[in-house]
Formats: sequence, C-alpha cells, structure tokens
Amino acid sequence: MKTAITLNVNGKEYPLEVKANEILLNVLRDRLGLMGTKYGCGIGECGDCTVLLDGKAILSCQSLAFTADGKKITTIEGLEHNGSLHPLQQAFIDEGAVQCGYCTPGMILSAKALLDTKPDPSDQEIKQAIRGNFCRCTGYTNIIRAIKTASEKIKDQGRKQT
Amino acid sequence: MSDKTYYFLGKDFPRKEGRARVTGREVYPSDVVLPGMLYGKILRSPRPHARIKSIDFSGAQKLGAVVLAPNDTPQEFFNVRQVSVPRSTYKDWRILSDHVRQVGDPYAAVAAETEELAEQAAEAVQVEWELLPAYFSIEEAMAAEDNLIHDKVYLQDKEIPIQNNIACTREVTEGDVDKGFAEAEVIVENEFVTPRVYHCQVEPRGCTCRPEPDGGITVWPSTQALHNTRILLGQLFDIPLNKVNVIRITGGGHFGSGIHTNPVILITVALALKAGKPVKILQSREEDLYDHCRYPTRYTLKIGAKKDGTLTAGQMKAWVDIGSHHVQALAFLGVLAGWWHSLYRLPNMRYQGVAVYTNKAPTCAMQGYGAPQVTFGVETTMTILAEKLNLDPIELRANNYVGLGEIFWGQGPTIRSLIHSDGVKELLYTGAEKIGWDKRPDPKAQSGRLRRGIGVARGFHTSGTGAPVPGEVKDFTTVQVKVNEDGSIDILTALMDHGGGTLDAAAKLVAEEFGVPFDKVGISPADTRSTGYDVCTHATRGVYCGAGAVLDVAQDTKKILLDYASRILNAPADSLKTRPDEAENEGIIYVEGMPEKNITIREVAQTAMNNDWGTAISARSVRKVNCPPAYTTFFVEVEVDMETGMVRILRVVAGSDAGTVINPALAKGQLEGGFYRGAGMALLEDTDYDPKTGQLTNRGLLTDYKMLGAVDLPDPEKFEIFFAHTYEPTGPMGAKGIGEAALNPVPAAVAAAIHNATGIWFTKLPILPEDILRAVREERKRDGKKAPGKPQAVPER
Ligand code: FES
Ligand code: FES
Repeated sequence: MKTAITLNVNGKEYPLEVKANEILLNVLRDRLGLMGTKYGCGIGECGDCTVLLDGKAILSCQSLAFTADGKKITTIEGLEHNGSLHPLQQAFIDEGAVQCGYCTPGMILSAKALLDTKPDPSDQEIKQAIRGNFCRCTGYTNIIRAIKTASEKIKDQGRKQT
Repeated sequence: MSDKTYYFLGKDFPRKEGRARVTGREVYPSDVVLPGMLYGKILRSPRPHARIKSIDFSGAQKLGAVVLAPNDTPQEFFNVRQVSVPRSTYKDWRILSDHVRQVGDPYAAVAAETEELAEQAAEAVQVEWELLPAYFSIEEAMAAEDNLIHDKVYLQDKEIPIQNNIACTREVTEGDVDKGFAEAEVIVENEFVTPRVYHCQVEPRGCTCRPEPDGGITVWPSTQALHNTRILLGQLFDIPLNKVNVIRITGGGHFGSGIHTNPVILITVALALKAGKPVKILQSREEDLYDHCRYPTRYTLKIGAKKDGTLTAGQMKAWVDIGSHHVQALAFLGVLAGWWHSLYRLPNMRYQGVAVYTNKAPTCAMQGYGAPQVTFGVETTMTILAEKLNLDPIELRANNYVGLGEIFWGQGPTIRSLIHSDGVKELLYTGAEKIGWDKRPDPKAQSGRLRRGIGVARGFHTSGTGAPVPGEVKDFTTVQVKVNEDGSIDILTALMDHGGGTLDAAAKLVAEEFGVPFDKVGISPADTRSTGYDVCTHATRGVYCGAGAVLDVAQDTKKILLDYASRILNAPADSLKTRPDEAENEGIIYVEGMPEKNITIREVAQTAMNNDWGTAISARSVRKVNCPPAYTTFFVEVEVDMETGMVRILRVVAGSDAGTVINPALAKGQLEGGFYRGAGMALLEDTDYDPKTGQLTNRGLLTDYKMLGAVDLPDPEKFEIFFAHTYEPTGPMGAKGIGEAALNPVPAAVAAAIHNATGIWFTKLPILPEDILRAVREERKRDGKKAPGKPQAVPER
C-alpha cells in the first residue's frame, strides 16, 4: 500500500507515493538524489543523517517518510543561497572543521537548528546541540570553534540589516 | 615550524575540497550510482568457526538474484595488504571460502535490482554448517592441536605449516641483554594490555564495480590503496592491468582500515563480473564492526637503568591476538620492536613477538600502527623509572631519547635511517612550562573526592617508510605536474588525502615552488590507469613522501618552463626567479636583479604552445630515502572522581615537531583529532566477544560501542597547541609528517595524568571507571584507610 504525500525539501515540492515503511533518509537519497544526507549507522546513533524538519534537527534514518508529509525539510543542499555559502558552511571551511567531511552535513544542520533558536550559544550549549553527531576525524574542537565563528558572523549580519 | 618566510606555507587557505564537503556535493563511495546497477548483499557467517556442509541458493535464484558461491571465485591464496614486499607477505585469504573463521566472515553473496530484493534473496539462502571449535583467547588458540583456524598458509609462494594457531613470530636482538641487566641498578617490569579498538570511520566501507565491454573493470572503492587494489584485482581476476581502473574517491574516514583491500571490494568485483552488470555493495555498520579493528597487544616490558638514569637494557615479549586473518602481522610484529627501540637509546635489547589467530574480526593498522600500544608501556615505564630514581620524568626523557644524529628504525628492523632534525627538547620544556609541570600535584598529598593530575608522554611517528636501503615495505609515489596554457598548474598523482590536508599541502608546495597564487594549482581527479604507482597514504607519509614527491616533480617541470622563458627573455635559465602576483592572479618569471624584465607564466606557456616547443610537463616516480621522526609530546590534566571512577579531561597541551608546518589550521586539527581518538583508547574504547555465541558483545551495534563525544572533551580554549622550530633538511621545504604522531603518546599521557591524580598506575587500557574504583578500593584496603576524605558534593560540569 502506498500513500501519496508531498515533501517540501529545500523550498521545492515533491509529490511522491511512498510505502508505509519507507525511511526518510532513503527517500531523500535514492528517490530525490539528495546525496548530502549520509548513512552512518541506521539506528539513530551517529547523526550523519540529520536534516531539519520544520526547523528542528531530526534523524532521517529514524523517520518514516510519510510522517514528513507537508512539513518543511532542509537538507545540506538547501543552505547555499545564490551561490554564497551559509555562514556555518563558510566557518566550517575556515576553521578547519572539515576533515573527511562525511559528518559535516549533519553537523552543520544540527548547528543551524541551534543557532536559529539560540544565536549566541555557550560552549556547553554547542556541545549539547551536537552531542548526537559523531565525528571521528576532528576531535570536535574546530567544529565548536566554527559554530562560534558562524554565530558571530550571523549576529554581525543581523546588526547590519537593522 | 621553521622561521623561514614563505608565500603560502604556514598560512591558512580554505581547503580545496572544502566547498564540496560543506554543500553535500562531495561524492563518497556510498554515493556512487550507475545506470542499471544491482545491489549486492554479503552473506556472513553466524558461527565463529565452521565449514559449509551444503548451501542451497535456489530460494535466492527464484527471486531473480545473481548468486556468488565460494567456488565462483578464484580459490588462490593472497594477502589483502600489499604494502610489504612479496618475500614478507603471508597469504591466508580467499575471496570467499567455505571455511568460515569468525562471526561475520563472508561466505557468499547475492545481487538484485533493489536493496530490499537483495536482502530477501540473502535471507532465502539455506546453509548447513559443520561446527568447529572456536578460540577467543590467545591461550585457547595456542592450546589447540587440530581444528586450527587456518590449515594452509603461504609465505610468498611457499606453503608453511601452522601449529597451535600461531600465525607468525619475530625476534630482534641487539647488544648483550644479560650483561645490560647485570649493569642495571634499577629494573622496572610490568605487563601492559591494549584494547581491540574499532576504527569506526563514519562511512561504513563499500564499493561499486562496473564491468567494461573490453573485459576490464572500473571500480569505485573505499580504500587508501588505489594501486595495490588495482594490482590485486588484476591478479585475482586475471585481468590485464591496463584494463583495471580504480578511481580515487574520498572515503568517509579510514584511519588505517583501508590500507588493505577490504573484502567488500573483492566481493563486489566478483559479483559484478558474474552478473555482467554494475554492482554496488555498501556494508551496514554492523557488518563493518566485524570487518576490521586495531591490533590489541599484551606484552611484558622490562627496562633497566643506572642510578644516573642511563638505560642499560630492555626486554619485551609481546602477544598479539590477530583474529581470523593475517593482514600482515609480520610487519606489525616488526614495528612493535621498532617503535620501542626508537623511543629511547637502549644499547641492549631483546624482543620477541608472537601473533596468534583467534575467531574474531581481523586486526589491521589503525592510526599509529602499534606505536600507541608500545608508547603506552614505554612511557609509563619511563615515569616509573624516574620516580624510582628520584629524577624529573622530563629530564629522564630529555637525556635518553633517540634524536639528532642517531640511527632509528621506527618502521621495524629493516628500515633504518639517520635523524636530521629534532625538536624533542623544545617540545618537552615548552610544554612543561605551558601546563605548569612544576606545580603538578603530589598524588600522596591529595585527599578528597575530586583529584587532579597532570601527566606527560612523548612519542613519534615515522614520516613514511623510506630508507637508504629498501626494507620490507614499499615506498614511492609517482607524480605528473603540468603547466596549463593559462598559467595554472595541475598535479596528477594517485596520492590520497584522508582529510588531513595532504593534497592541499602538495598544492601549496607547488604554488611556492612556481610562485603562482595557490588558487592556480589544481589537483586532478586520479585513477589507476592515468597515474603511476603510489604505495598508498599511510605511515604518516602523505606530506613528507607524497607531497615531497610532488615537489620534486614540480621542480622538473619548472626547469622546462624556465627553459622556455629563457628563450623569450633572452636570459640564462638559472638567472630566472619566480613570484606570485596575487592582484593579477598570475605567476611572474623575472630576471634576478632586473625585475622589470619579466613575463607571466601564462604567456610563457602560450608562447611555448604557439611555437610548437611543447608543454611544460614531467612525470616520474620518487622514493624518499628517509622517514624522519615526527615527534609529539602531550601534557594532559585530568580530574578523577574517587567515588565514581569518572575521569574528566580538563586541559591539554600538545606540542608537535613537524618541521615546516604547511597547513597550520589543518595540522592543529590533526593534533585535536589524534588526541580525541587516543583519549578514547585510553578511557573507553574496546571490543570483546561472547565466547558462547562468538558474537561481539556489542552485537555490532554502535549503541554499545562507546566513544568520547564533544561533551567529554575540553573546551577549545583549554586545548593548547604549539609547534617546535625545526627544519627537516631532507623534507619538502623542511616539512615532515604529523598524522599518526598526533595519537601515539596520548593513551600514555592520559594514564600518567590519572596516576598523578590517584597515585595508581594502570597498565591495562581502556581505564574504565570500574577499574579505577576497584584499584582505589584495593589501595585503601592495603593502606588500611577507610575513605579518601569525607565525601564532597560534585561540582556541576
Ligand atoms: S544514520 Fe541516522 S543516526 Fe546514524
Ligand atoms: S570530518 Fe570526518 S567524521 Fe567528521
């Protein structure tokens, strides 16, 4: 039995027929070709598959696709705007927070969910926000630095606009 | 870090692959999709040791699946790891075998149009097993006389008998050990145990293979070893090497788990050839946990010294539980001796190593390749010796380490070279000052629930495996460097970057050499048909050997370019200099002393093309005849909760002697990452097996493989990094390696800090809270004390 749903991913609508047991991660990767969302464990332990669902960081390997019907999904592919990187993306490059890069999409999205609600987080709050995202390469130090740098940058931009 | 000034070295630029990686556009092995591709699934043994009595594929075939049985694959013996020379290569592997040797051992595979169908087909395969006795400890394995894990093993092409499951042994002796111990005034002897850590690279290993119309194959594997994979595939499947194309593709982490050609690659290729269609296999995390892990070690270490701290003799006996297969344990036994012998001057030493098969996942290289294991014991012993001799542990180290002007053989007894640069004392003294070494607590004077401690350990890694006389390990890199007609430059090499910045370093060296803006140097996509042999990026060889080879070839190409320029400028080539013009985004060639007489590299390249002089291009293989030690020193401060046994890491000071530092931010990232993995090995990570089922006790689930997380590590401000002011004369613009040195001393430093806090030495890793509590209780019993002071409230984290 398939259900007709509409996924709104990165501002674009995708009408789809999905089976009841279809996992959001697989739909994003295999059916929509959005390969930036990664598989690392499939059991909710690594955070590689993190996407934003209505602004909240969720694990797409633990979500059934039909439950995202009508909700807004943001994947890493949706962060760049008109060819310019989101401050988090830029800060991850500048601070050396990217090594192999496989954890990076999920990590950036968890960080985005944090900064969207808490523009000025402490080290502890950053650590809590990414505690479900596992990075084997960096030791997290540069990731925390990058998130702080991005938060400064976003605040600066906000100040300029007002 | 040397004091010379450079245009690009020592400065941070956005890494070249950065943009692809933060936008989700980097293609990893798990992202490869080909038209008409089938999905493969590996059938893995549920039993730790068994033979297939019968196997029935009819259920899978009914579902339309392509099936692969052991006898569909070549039954030739080989070794998955190809970095050693043939005379030192043990062969006990076959692609699929009907004799399974661990839970998770592959015995068959299926492929179908969807992943779901492949899974159903795999479940439909029926097997009848003949169970064999399984061995989960070195003792059990060595007690066995028959039903051995391997009945047939080859060394090169000679069949060698296996007894008591002993895979291989190695002995190294120097000087006269008995005389040395007779001269000793103090002797320290302990047994050390290190864990079976899982690499846990974030991307489980996988592969895609497409059979080509000409009988060849194209392969997109997770691997660190493109060319060794190509050679092994050609040999096993009998395909001419000019039809085997292995594509370089970024892996989601390796840490040594891809130096050998992982079984999933071989099985994918076999399936694709049988199906006549592209096949992709991506291992699940559970499969990956049964696929590879770090070599665990158990060894006794005895070191003797005179009262003044001069070491007189050492003896080490090591046992290594290698699991179900040989991923070149002979080389591993060799480096155990090498790391040990090259840490401190030991005039007399005796080493014996024994590698034993068990029915567990095969062990292989993981960051440090035996160095973290050995450094743990040696550094612990050095601090114990210092205490016994009433010497400062820093001084004892400074007086005994193997350094400038000495011969060392970190990569094992066959790879010997001379040390030309040495920042060890700077690392020890600067680090001691930064952490406040002189103010470190006295463990005996501490009371109360929370106790602080500071520990130190030092170590090194070789920058590759080069030496004047080739040893057991291959080491060279082939490179092509080409100047394009717009003045940009392309580097073509099979060298790999696992995230540490190896290829960025190569690009910076080329930019520096040519005097062109960094952006004008590109790294070409690489595959094995368009590149010459490169041994692989391992052994911390990336910058020194790999990028070093790139620089050597760039110099060849620059000669050609300057020859063209000298014709145009009408000045001898050796009077020409280069510099970058960042504003114009050009490289400039000018006559020394006459800067107005100049031309851009773009114009030279175009003139050379339009006059039919040719392209400035060259290619060759380069072997480095040294592998200088990249030294590191870690000072760690911890807090131990005597009521819970929990260890909190408060502060880290990490010093690195990497020669000229090419990518400072990325080099720091190496030290932070190395610390994290080393601290995990010290405090948490291990895998063990349930002897009843033969399964991992974590059952392959990441949920029960615990690692440190962001919350367990010190805040960025509490992690201080510095570099020694050294210049490696044999290295590319003074550089040597860093990668594995960033982990090697860490477990030892953490253990030393715990000792400084608690007064207790732990000689078995990981040091779990329950180990600390047990030891504290025993200590109290011995001392007749009841409590370590009155219980205190624990301050909030
Ligand atoms: S793949 Fe979803 S948490 Fe690991
Ligand atoms: S950068 Fe490799 S896992 Fe995070």
